Amino acid sequence: MSPDILDGSMDIWFGPQHVSAHGWATKLTLVGDYIVECDPNAGYFHRSAEKVLEFKNFRQGPLVLERMCMLEAFLAEYPYVAAVEKIAELEIPERAKVMRTIMMEMSRIHSIQFWWGQFNAELGFFTMALWPWVDREYSLDVFEELTGSRHTVSFSTPGGVKYDFTEKVMTQLNRAIDRFEDRLVKFKDMQLGSPTFRARTENIGLYDVKQGLKWGLSGPPIKACGVPMDLRKDDPDPNLAYDMVDFDVPITENPEHPGQSDAFDRMEQRFAEAETAVSIIKQLIPQIPEGDIVDPKARGKANRLPEGEAYARVEGTRGITSVWLKTEEKGQTAYRAKIRGPCIASYYALKDLVPGSKFADFIVIFGSLDPYPGWWDR
Amino acid sequence: MIGGVMLQFDFFAWLAGIPDWILGVLKWIYGIFSYVFHWIFNVFTWIWTTIFIPKNFMFLFRAVIFPGLIFVVMALIWAVWFTRKLWGRIQDRRGPLHMGKYGGLQLFADAIKLIGKETIIPDKAKRWMFRFLPGLLLVIVLLPFAFIPWDTVSAVDGGWAISDLNVSLVLAFAFLTAVPVIALLAGWVSGSKYTLIGGFRAANNQFAAEIPMIISTIGCAFLARSLSIFDISMAQSSLWFAILLPINLATFLVAAIASVGVFPFDAPVADSEIIFGWRTEYTGIYFTLTYFAEFAEQMLYSALIVALFLGGPNGLPFLPGPVNFIIKFLITFFFFVLVSSSFQRLRQDQIVYFCWKYLLPLAVLNVIVIMFAVVYLPGLMLPLLGVG
Repeated sequence: MSPDILDGSMDIWFGPQHVSAHGWATKLTLVGDYIVECDPNAGYFHRSAEKVLEFKNFRQGPLVLERMCMLEAFLAEYPYVAAVEKIAELEIPERAKVMRTIMMEMSRIHSIQFWWGQFNAELGFFTMALWPWVDREYSLDVFEELTGSRHTVSFSTPGGVKYDFTEKVMTQLNRAIDRFEDRLVKFKDMQLGSPTFRARTENIGLYDVKQGLKWGLSGPPIKACGVPMDLRKDDPDPNLAYDMVDFDVPITENPEHPGQSDAFDRMEQRFAEAETAVSIIKQLIPQIPEGDIVDPKARGKANRLPEGEAYARVEGTRGITSVWLKTEEKGQTAYRAKIRGPCIASYYALKDLVPGSKFADFIVIFGSLDPYPGWWDR
Repeated sequence: MIGGVMLQFDFFAWLAGIPDWILGVLKWIYGIFSYVFHWIFNVFTWIWTTIFIPKNFMFLFRAVIFPGLIFVVMALIWAVWFTRKLWGRIQDRRGPLHMGKYGGLQLFADAIKLIGKETIIPDKAKRWMFRFLPGLLLVIVLLPFAFIPWDTVSAVDGGWAISDLNVSLVLAFAFLTAVPVIALLAGWVSGSKYTLIGGFRAANNQFAAEIPMIISTIGCAFLARSLSIFDISMAQSSLWFAILLPINLATFLVAAIASVGVFPFDAPVADSEIIFGWRTEYTGIYFTLTYFAEFAEQMLYSALIVALFLGGPNGLPFLPGPVNFIIKFLITFFFFVLVSSSFQRLRQDQIVYFCWKYLLPLAVLNVIVIMFAVVYLPGLMLPLLGVG
């Protein structure tokens, strides 16, 4: 770009005070209505979670993790728990495995419901924002009935889960799933058939698989390109119950641009994700075995861990969420914990993805990648 | 003073004269005050007697109370409540609920809250323009309500229609064209990048929507052979122009929504992109004024649609004109809210594309079709229009 074009440029800080920038700030350089430079800045949401983990014992650790992304709390806390279980070599009861899987998929549904409303609000359609949020209330009711908290659930614990499924939880779970399954079909029709939605999202934020992998994207942003990259199939966790269900990796292939994804594809991908999650939960509910929900010896074993290190990961709503944990001999806390959230990749992908698009499309591109600031400020 | 001129200052004579002097000064001051007072009193008397000639009094009543300023402001308050309630119902919510019956007093609570807030003027803002523009905006939006034909009888003849000009349609659009100019100015003087972008987007919206909107009204003016809004609505006593110009009704509605800049054409105040567009820096009472102006503009366009396409005060013959007008006005406003809660926001280049590529040809097409019909099918058309 020749320097004289940049003479008439204008720098705009998108955040941290911006209404749709909750905890992030991106510097945009505009020439006319076009963005020529995008400079994502991490650090406005920093809560030093990795350092905090060095002072919390292994049963307190998940509470820090679930605050990284409260929208997918069940998924967010799991990698830490799994890493602790790997080091302590804990046995997980069968019932706890199935319960964890159900609640993780429920958490995925909740996260997608929230994202979906938020994306529509960013597109300036508040009606479609509030309709999924009504369904979200039903998901939150399940969380509240199960754990007593709507967001900070602290469900998984080393060796199993903390709370058992009661009759009422199952009723509410079934109600939430049935209602969402019913509304999903209608919403998909309404959302993807809307001409204004198509106008705003088609060919916006277009990238191909190669670029996506270079940026380190995972989860829905890369599955929307047609790549069946999913840890639930590729690297099934022995402590989860994905081997008990029959499902396909949800991918979206757009015949108009094969191997590429735009904002529209990523919305379609979220629908596919939600459908898959619903089908997994519906298959798992009849298969919940009887038995303990937590290994009785786990509490003692998780008090002091042997020396070791472990890496655990899970297919989160936004991509691969992983934790690397190193412990010392008889350590009560982690020596070092490293969290790798999925959104650091999708946030810094904006640097290459956004330049050349219009200013009004920035929030569409941002929203379609669904970055959550908690995942990049650790 | 014997035997000569007394040049010496006679102190005691001077002393004796002081009361007279003070009295003179007081009389002089009293004279000034009484003159001014009588002058003002006479002016008041003149105004008073002029007002209370029955005809004049009724005119003033119409202009200020009903269907003039007070009525319009009350309708505005109702419109804000109605919009919020309807939005709530559409969005699976309940809308305002707690203040008054069905949340009817919510707007007063909001207004008191907003007025009580601190007024922050940015350092980089041009202070006086920044303060002046929101009020000017509301005044300019409220002025064209004077030309709305509320009744089949004009005020001169004792009806409820306030006033009219033979070019009132043109004048109403002239006022409405100033609205985005004020938005652009407000964005400019606020001294913020977001407001500047918002101001230019408002100008862009008007650039897109104004021509289709004005061309949509050409058909009405042709058929009524007048540029007066009152005459146009009177020409629909036998047949509403909505039947002859249905496409123009639709294009006018869409172009009006685009011109006001509410959803889905709310790029000027797109909150997810540019915070609140040209209104970003306005707080407290200034924000309230701009907020009211937006609703007033929607109401004005609804009233214009009723007057131009839906027969104005003509309707059910056993109801008085204003009642007919207000019923149709409410229904039109309902459609305004309905449309504005059903679409994603368009990008500003898509707004121009949409308005110029779809609305403009459609508007012109309807005018051409109806003109050909008048020329080639006079036997069918002219009796419908009540001519010949």
